[in-house]
Amino acid sequence: MLMCRELAGIASDYIDGELSTGRRLSVQMHLMMCRHCRSFIGNLRASTELLRGHSSARVEPAVIDRINHRVTEALSHRPETPDPDPDPDPDKDR
Amino acid sequence: MTVNAHPNLDESRLVEALKRGEQAAFTEAVSTYTAGMLAVARYYVDPANAEEIVQDCWVTVIDAVRRFEGRSGLKTWLHRIVANRCKNLLRTSHREITTDFTERLEPELESRFKTSGRWATPPKLRFDESADVLLENGALSDCLDKHLGHLPENQRSALILYEAHQHKSDDVCNILDVSASNLRVMLHRARQKIFLMVETFQETGEC
Ligand SMILES: [Zn+2]
Repeated sequence: MLMCRELAGIASDYIDGELSTGRRLSVQMHLMMCRHCRSFIGNLRASTELLRGHSSARVEPAVIDRINHRVTEALSHRPETPDPDPDPDPDKDR
Repeated sequence: MTVNAHPNLDESRLVEALKRGEQAAFTEAVSTYTAGMLAVARYYVDPANAEEIVQDCWVTVIDAVRRFEGRSGLKTWLHRIVANRCKNLLRTSHREITTDFTERLEPELESRFKTSGRWATPPKLRFDESADVLLENGALSDCLDKHLGHLPENQRSALILYEAHQHKSDDVCNILDVSASNLRVMLHRARQKIFLMVETFQETGEC
């Protein structure tokens, strides 16, 4: 019989659908009988969704600006339309 | 998060524009993909070096994207470039692994069970509100930022790549160089911390 502590240990696997059928069924059985674990799974799922909605990896605009600056500079050293089969540059003088 | 009806169509259009070296395409790609790339870099190196690595990666992408064949998605491909660059830089890595992969429960949660394995201190919350409503609470959002900042780097990166960037498990394992079972533990440990944080926040109003 699955105990609450054990269920808490595999709660994420249950939420993500990573459990075997047998394991999943025993979690479902337990959840039918245990409101605390129902509450825990619900809370854990909501915490996860919170993260999905949260721009958890928000980037400072200044970081983006610095990257764009470098990319722009690098692009200016690149031919406008790439030759699909570029010849070695005959004018290379360095 | 951007939900797109035809992500692949849009992505292939973006890839073609990147291959042509169009500035606007790069600006769009940089703003879309940099956050995830930084999360990958921060898994391997400290934050101060992460930005520089991501910058360098974007510069290499200018040429490398011409060889992009679309076997993986653009995002996964970019994340792998960052991961490979970090791994090359860190041939002798002293990365601190702060997760005990044998423990599936956070100590703080573990202590809430009786020896019988039943709850002694059950969850106090009911999540009646949807995540969107909760996030409208700016203080909670700030609190989330703070706690994400305090997660061990490996747990945070796993969480960000898996949740915020919706990578498949296989891709996260590949990018972060972890086994599938260890990834499961990292995700679960990180989610428990977020759960505990939200619980405390809702109960006390404090972060
Ligand atoms: Zn239970």
